[in-house]
Amino acid sequence: MLTVIKLLQSLFRTLHSEGSPRQVAAGIMLGAGIGLTPLLSAHNLVLFAAIVLLNVSFGGGMLGMALFTPLGFLLDPLFDRVGLALLEVMGLRGLWTDWYNIPLLPYTNFNNSVTLGSFVVWVVAAVPIYFLAKRGLTHYRATYGERVLNSRFMKGLKASKAYNVYSWFVPQ
Amino acid sequence: MKRPRKIFRWRAVGPLLFFGLVLVVLYLVFADRIAQHETEATLSEALGTEVDLASLRIRETDAAVDLAGLQIADPRNPNRNLLEAGTITIDLDPVPLAEKKIVIDDLRLSGLRFLTARKTPARPADPNSPAGKLLRETEQWAKDKFDFPKLALGRIDSARSLVLNPDQLATVKAAKSLIGTVDSTRVAFERGLADLQVRPLVDSSTALAARLAQSDPKQLGVAGVKAALDDARQAIDRIKQARVKLAVLDTTARKSFGILQQGLQDVDAARQRDYTFARGLLQLPSFDAPNIGAALFGTPSIDYFQQALYYARILQRYVPPGLQPWNRPGPARVRMAGTSVEFPKEKAYPRFLLRKGEVDLAAGAALEHHFKASFGGITSQPELYGRPATLAASGRLAGERPIGIEFALMSRHFGKAPKDSLVAAVEGVSLPAIAFPGLPFEVDPGRSRVGFRFNLAGDRIDGSWEVASDQVTWHADSSRLRTASLVEGIIWKVVTGLTQLRVRAELGGTVSNPTLKVSSNLDEAIAVRLRGLVGEELAKGEQRARDAVDSLVGQQVAALQARVSDLQAQALQRLPLEKSQLDEVQKKLETELKRLAGSAAGGLKLPKL
Repeated sequence: MLTVIKLLQSLFRTLHSEGSPRQVAAGIMLGAGIGLTPLLSAHNLVLFAAIVLLNVSFGGGMLGMALFTPLGFLLDPLFDRVGLALLEVMGLRGLWTDWYNIPLLPYTNFNNSVTLGSFVVWVVAAVPIYFLAKRGLTHYRATYGERVLNSRFMKGLKASKAYNVYSWFVPQ
Repeated sequence: MKRPRKIFRWRAVGPLLFFGLVLVVLYLVFADRIAQHETEATLSEALGTEVDLASLRIRETDAAVDLAGLQIADPRNPNRNLLEAGTITIDLDPVPLAEKKIVIDDLRLSGLRFLTARKTPARPADPNSPAGKLLRETEQWAKDKFDFPKLALGRIDSARSLVLNPDQLATVKAAKSLIGTVDSTRVAFERGLADLQVRPLVDSSTALAARLAQSDPKQLGVAGVKAALDDARQAIDRIKQARVKLAVLDTTARKSFGILQQGLQDVDAARQRDYTFARGLLQLPSFDAPNIGAALFGTPSIDYFQQALYYARILQRYVPPGLQPWNRPGPARVRMAGTSVEFPKEKAYPRFLLRKGEVDLAAGAALEHHFKASFGGITSQPELYGRPATLAASGRLAGERPIGIEFALMSRHFGKAPKDSLVAAVEGVSLPAIAFPGLPFEVDPGRSRVGFRFNLAGDRIDGSWEVASDQVTWHADSSRLRTASLVEGIIWKVVTGLTQLRVRAELGGTVSNPTLKVSSNLDEAIAVRLRGLVGEELAKGEQRARDAVDSLVGQQVAALQARVSDLQAQALQRLPLEKSQLDEVQKKLETELKRLAGSAAGGLKLPKL
């Protein structure tokens, strides 16, 4: 329950006040990387560390992850096709062979069709995700933000004491 | 004043480190359990049967893993284990782990037991897993390729009508396949010969020789003689090259004819199987000694070969030859598994390598055993390792009834001719009773000598299975024996007095067209008794079965044999003819060359002949 409240707090605070639209959009963009690609791959540790260490919205990162994880499941067949096509391109075989035999790199599972396909799709979509998120957030704050902020639900949520830890990650 | 934008959130370093610490703690708590589960799952999928581990402990500081209580279930009998191992110690090479590769320096197994009863039945293999599919395929292979004659019959009805469909006959399929090979061989031979352009070369060289013969060196002058000598030398070089190519074509053609002759033998073997099939439709028992052996021991012997083929195919699937990228199913997970592609590289570690291992039976209660077993070179990419995988075991297991074991396995999946072979001999082993299909009795071989050999090289298979026992006992189902047919009754009378059993089964041919010969010491005794009883009626029926098959395939096979012979004769005539023409014209040119060179000696630099 505590986790759910924390997530909801994170979501609403992210949407309303914490961080500029740029920071939130950057967080969503990085979170989308974790959401779209299979979780247990080494590159997700790097993405998670980036969300935590870079001055982007942590809540945005969690929001991006929450939004894009179901999308990742839905798009797995597409990722599989994209990834397998890339892995089977003759011109890239030398690159993949070198990478496959470099220490630590195989732990990213880049040689798996779904992992590679989803990662490449995320890389291609990262910039559009960033701009769409920024634009959407700016629009939201200008139109519905105030009404939602003054709702009884939001006030109750804000009164919860569970977000202290979360405040460590609030963008400055 | 605008505040400078910060890029890093330094105060989050602490929580991130804490997160890392949590991951480490989670690893320490769950790594062994996860690794145990993954090992069980991976081995189960690879072997197509349930594999259980009682425990798995990773010793990070020693780069070692301890396993205990390994059980590998028999994929064909869920109530028994093929193998149990008390403890397994694995010493890993830590460097390849950085590349996500497992290289085992040394593996020690102890507390080995074979063919033990399971406490709970094993889960069946996933029918859609690669191993599950291979198991089904090999079971189907045994059903489709071997049709053993039946002995359990009553009255012989030689007047029964017999209608055969050509599509049912193996001969028709084998002949169609061979026709294609004959045609492609002919086309390849014709093209090879045409590419040599022997005729134009002989014609132009003959014309040159004639021109040189009519020329007078004195009239040609120094320059003319030199040009004539150059022409002759070049023509001779072309002839020599053509002769070399002709020799290569001759070798290739002879190899192809060998394949065609083997194909004809396969067609003949298919025809023999069709006779058996037709005899089966007439429900005729076969009382030839070899058929009696097949009827009695064909099924149990093919059971052994089928298992060997299954494991050889598993090896072929998981240990491919060459260094090409290799697609495997991705890891099992909530997300789609996808395909994981391996990219092997020369002079790099293979994905999996077991350098050497040994079985230690000296531990525990087995101090009296004199048994050694070692294995090594087991790898997922043999081309990188460059040595075959081997397993050798020999010795004597002590106990009330000692068992002698000799076992050698070799799997060479690199180079031009991948091969898997197994040789095993066990002495003093108590074999389970062998039931005879359709007959109301079985034989208990007791303590026996068992020999088994199996080779798979490409599509070619060969092997043998032998059983020898001097203390067999026969058990009959008394209620069924009371109502047994005449044939069954005779067989029972013959075998009950026997205490010796000698069986030998020989497998040969190809996976697609296998042959099996089974013989036993019972065959002749039973055959003589049965032939005396119903031989005449049976001979009539068998002739009808053969006639029915021959009427459908006789002409086709004869035409095929004629085509092969014709092609072979044609090629064997043409190649020497072409060669003799080249020899003849070369001789003429060399004669002219000597004449011109001799006449111009002193004024010209002579070419080397």
